[in-house]
This record gives sequence, structure tokens and C-alpha cells, in this order.
Amino acid sequence: MNRPPILALALLALAGCANDPAPHEQMRLTTQAVEQARAVGADQQIEEMQLAEQKLARAEKNMGEADYKRARMFAEQAELDARLAEAKVLNLKSQKQLDELNARITRLRKQLGGMP
Amino acid sequence: MAKVTLGGAMLLSLVLLGGCASQQGRQVVADAEASFLAVKEDTDVLRSAPKDVIRAGETLARAERLSSYWGSGQDVEHFAFLSQRYSQIARQHADLSLNQERLAKLELERERLQLALREAKLLSIQQQGQWLEEQVVSLAASETDRGLVMTLGDVLFDAGRTELKASANRTILKLVQFLQINPRRTVRIEGYTDNRGDARENLELSRARAQAVADLLIDLGIEGRRLEVVGYGEAHPLAENASAKGRAQNRRVEILISDEAGKLGAQR
Repeated sequence: MNRPPILALALLALAGCANDPAPHEQMRLTTQAVEQARAVGADQQIEEMQLAEQKLARAEKNMGEADYKRARMFAEQAELDARLAEAKVLNLKSQKQLDELNARITRLRKQLGGMP
Repeated sequence: MAKVTLGGAMLLSLVLLGGCASQQGRQVVADAEASFLAVKEDTDVLRSAPKDVIRAGETLARAERLSSYWGSGQDVEHFAFLSQRYSQIARQHADLSLNQERLAKLELERERLQLALREAKLLSIQQQGQWLEEQVVSLAASETDRGLVMTLGDVLFDAGRTELKASANRTILKLVQFLQINPRRTVRIEGYTDNRGDARENLELSRARAQAVADLLIDLGIEGRRLEVVGYGEAHPLAENASAKGRAQNRRVEILISDEAGKLGAQR
């Protein structure tokens, strides 16, 4: 008794796949995000950067095969992977700056011999 | 009839797909929910990355909505993943801005301490009656074939120690003043020892003394990138090492001053 609606849904889902437009804008955004992450120093050491590069490559392959739904999914994920990698690298850098500054302040205090 | 069979087969495959994904899908959604809950209650995160928090919520809602449909396992996981990522990005941005606020505060503190140190050193010079009112900065430097070189003699360090003694204050302050008036100039700080003792230890000592001078200059407000530090150990003696007088001359820190454009000669 439930068959007709489910069938319709299944057909709709399939139709949805077939009609996905090519995600050119998303591909551009993702490529940009990956480049930006690389520019601030994210490399293969950062796990999310590896993921971003792998998924972008997959998305490009899917684009070539006109499998736009997959291409969009991989590209969307890769964009956020890259943005997370970028934020992590910036964080690591600021942590390093904090450590350096703290060390300098400690040294200054020592030189001042406990002056307030 | 054929249509019904086709439909049945499709249904079966969708149920299978849905069944496979749902177990994993539920877990991914649960993880994303937990991450979102943690960031949306955090005022630091809301303040520094409100957009990412909103997107984490939106994508999570999509994943939750889709999880009630058959055959959407892949989409559920996709949106749950995006939500998880937005939450993580928001968290990182919050940490970053907290770090930046801390850096700004510490930078102020460092400037205050630098000023205090400079004043303390000036005071000690005035008390020693050594300070000369000079309009033009003249350095105790000599022009050599390597350029302008200032020498901090052996007496400014205790034997085997790396800290500069207070008697070096006047020379150091003059150098600081000179570098502040000439902001493009840079220096190379070179440590040297005599030939007594182990050569490797001497190399380390010479480098540590040069570094101590660099640290003091940084503490007094000179930017670290204007300073280069080298230890030469026993190499390049000024005098013979046979006499005590000659060895004392060889134990020194030389400060090589760059030209107006900040260019230093090649290392020895």
C-alpha cells in the first residue's frame, strides 16, 4: 500500500541526481580556499590539508565525468577541510608567538631583578 | 506489472543503501550535534565566528531533516560532516582571537618592561658618573676592512659565564641609541674565545655570549630580525694565545655594523 509514494520518491531522488547542475562556483571557491590555506603555510603535515587536496582532486575527476552531485559534495567538504587547515596553521603560529613573547618577558623580568 | 517489479527492486536497493548508511549516519550526526552544542553555548566562539556557528546549525538541521528519509544516507553524512567542520572552524577562530588579544596585552607589557630596563640602565650609568651628554652619537667603534666594528672586551663577562656585566651598560646603551637613530642598519654579533680548553666548548661559549648580547639588545627594544649571531670560538684571534694578555684580548664579542642600507659583509 505504501508502494506508490516510495516509488515516486525513489524516482525523484534519481531525477535529482541526474539534474544536478555543474558546480563551477563551488569548484572555484574550493580551489581558492586550498590555495589560501597553502599560502599561510598549511602543508601535508596538517591532516585536514591532506584531506582537502585529496577531495579536491576527486571533485575535479567527478567534474570530468559529469558526475556533478559527487563533484559538489567533495568540493564542499574540501573547502571546509582547507579552511580548517588554514585556521589551525594560524593558531599554531600565534601560539608560537605567545611562547616567544612570554620567554622574552620572563627574561626582562629577570634582568630587572624582580622590579614590578 | 513490470513497473511494480522495477519499483520493488528499486525499493529494495534503496532500503539496503539506507540501512548501510544509517548506522554510520546516526553516529556522524550525533558527533556533529555534540560539536555544535559545544560552540553555540560558548560566548567566545559566538563573538569571533558567528557566521560559522550559524552555518554549523543550518547544515546540522539539514542532516537531521534528511535522516528521516530513506536512501539519503550519503547526504546525511555529508551535511553532518559540513556541520562538524563549521563547528571546528568556529572553535579555531575563537582560539585564534583569544591568542591575538593575549599577544596584544603581552606586547604592551613587554614595552613597559623594556622602558623600565632602559631607565634602570641609564640610572646605573648616571650613578657611575659615566654618562656623557652627547648630541652626536659616537660609538666606540673602529673602522676596519670588515666595516664598522665595536668590541666588547673580556672584562665585560665573568670567566665561563655568558651574562654581560653592568659595566657593559654604557656601550650597549650607546649601541641601542645608534640603532634607533639608524633604523635601517643591522648588526652581526660575533663571539670569540682564546684557545684554552676544549675547542667545541669554546665554540659554544662564544656563541652563547654573542647570543646574550643579542638578547639584551632585544630586551632594550631592538627588533630581533636586525641582529645576526655567530660564534667563532678560537678562530680569528686578535693576538697570540701564548700570554695571558694576548688571551684576554682574544676573548671578546665583536659587533659588526652594517652599511646604511642594512647590508652586512660576508661571514668570515
